[in-house]
Amino acid sequence: MPNAILDPTGRTVVEESEPATVRAPRRGALTGARVGLLDNTKHNAMLFLQEVGRLLVDEHGADEVSIVETKRSFSVPVDDEIVARYRKSADVVVTGVGDCGSCSAAAVADGINFEKAGVPAAVVLTDAFTTTGHMMAQVQGAPGYEWITTEHPVAVLDEEQVRERARRLLPQIVETLTAGGEQ
Amino acid sequence: MSTPTETLDPDAAQAAIEHCYDQGWSDGLPVVPATQPLVDDFVAAAGRPADEVIGRSPQVDRTVTVELAAINAVMAGCRPEYFPVVLAAWEALMRERATNGGGWQSTSGPAPLIIVNGPIRNVIGLNSAGGAFGPGFRANATISRAIGLIVRNVYGIQPHGLEQATQGLPGRWQICFGENEEESPWAPLAEELGVPGDAVTTTLLRTCEYVDNRHTPDPEQLLYDFADTIGRSGAWIFKHAMAGVVFCPEHAQLLASAGYSRADVAAFLSENAGRTTGQLARAGKDFANDFGVRFPGTAEDPDAFQRTMPPADPKRMIIAVAGARNAGISMVVRYFADWSGTPVPIRAAADAASAAPASAAATG
Repeated sequence: MPNAILDPTGRTVVEESEPATVRAPRRGALTGARVGLLDNTKHNAMLFLQEVGRLLVDEHGADEVSIVETKRSFSVPVDDEIVARYRKSADVVVTGVGDCGSCSAAAVADGINFEKAGVPAAVVLTDAFTTTGHMMAQVQGAPGYEWITTEHPVAVLDEEQVRERARRLLPQIVETLTAGGEQ
Repeated sequence: MSTPTETLDPDAAQAAIEHCYDQGWSDGLPVVPATQPLVDDFVAAAGRPADEVIGRSPQVDRTVTVELAAINAVMAGCRPEYFPVVLAAWEALMRERATNGGGWQSTSGPAPLIIVNGPIRNVIGLNSAGGAFGPGFRANATISRAIGLIVRNVYGIQPHGLEQATQGLPGRWQICFGENEEESPWAPLAEELGVPGDAVTTTLLRTCEYVDNRHTPDPEQLLYDFADTIGRSGAWIFKHAMAGVVFCPEHAQLLASAGYSRADVAAFLSENAGRTTGQLARAGKDFANDFGVRFPGTAEDPDAFQRTMPPADPKRMIIAVAGARNAGISMVVRYFADWSGTPVPIRAAADAASAAPASAAATG
């Protein structure tokens, strides 16, 4: 009997089941909601998020933008401490913009972490990182997790174009944060 | 030790290699199928517990042990006596800020630069002379490849998946060489940084760019040639960009005989590598604050000189010597991010036994 060939991955193969996801309970509308923004440091991300926050308050009845933070490392998913801070201060979270290899994957993990903690989250990635987003969703045990995709690139847009992008994605962001909730 | 060729079974070897391809375990080239007896030899050569955790990636939630590293080193084509070098290189890479962040997944597709000092270079046949950047030498080619297979297989960071390199770069998982201590005019790199003897120095590279200067005996003219390459705008993303130099013996000796130490070279290049604001403005990169990326500014004071690198610090700039003493051809090595500045000693089983007899005995 020859020696077995060893597996170099250290992982056990998990049987593919139906695409699991994770989803916090929603309220059907954003009226009175406190909005949290999480900036992943990528160029134009903060401007985009602040414009989304402003539109959610001005046009969708959100109470205020209640917490705004910038990630210390764009490539590492948020930890329990950060999630707890947002859970305390915000009813919904918007985060992004994933437009690089590691930050896009991390943004997907962030969204999953917020949903697990009961905070509805809208995650925005550019369309160049769809595959890596799916890979990360699998790693996080939520292969069916969905985020919002926008055209790549975002980093080179000027200020007016970023605001226009925020305006254009607004309906999807509102839908993501409220769909299936009770009014 | 060699096996009589008539007892070798190439058909079995081919089938085993194809099996590894089918599992997705290869970087594209054939791998050596790993078996427990060979992996045990590797672990024994390192003298460390097989289940010792040597790396963890929080973003992909994966952990590397000595045994998993050994399996991948076997597959890369290493010999057992190379494995302590692989482990030291891995440990040195784990000290890099970028490898604990998004380095392995980055669109930049960075490549580890692995520089080995000490007598072990000659023991394992690690090339430090002609063709140091490869190819042609088993130790050089397989130690660097082992790092790539660990990232691929254990972390699961693979191209088109979690690895998002836009173009990647030639030499990824292939840059490993000894410092040419025999022809270097300076103390060994790791020794100068406080780790004498067998040691690995490493960082992640964005690219390597040659400087061919067989034109001048003047050390300043020579260094201005390096400063020009280091200063090009395309490599600048943030306020500063960092680079080192792997000098060929001829350039290193020219500089040393003119009185330049490593620190002097670093100081000169730090001061003189860069572009004017006007030149950077043409590329839309003239403005930088302390944190964010560069972007188009107002280009006021177009003649102002902006330095590529932050102020000189011997712990920031890798200055090594490698290659043949046959031409004035050196390599600028451009960092992906920054460098830890800390070489890691290479510990083989014998060292481990004297340092920790109990654990060495337990692992045989």
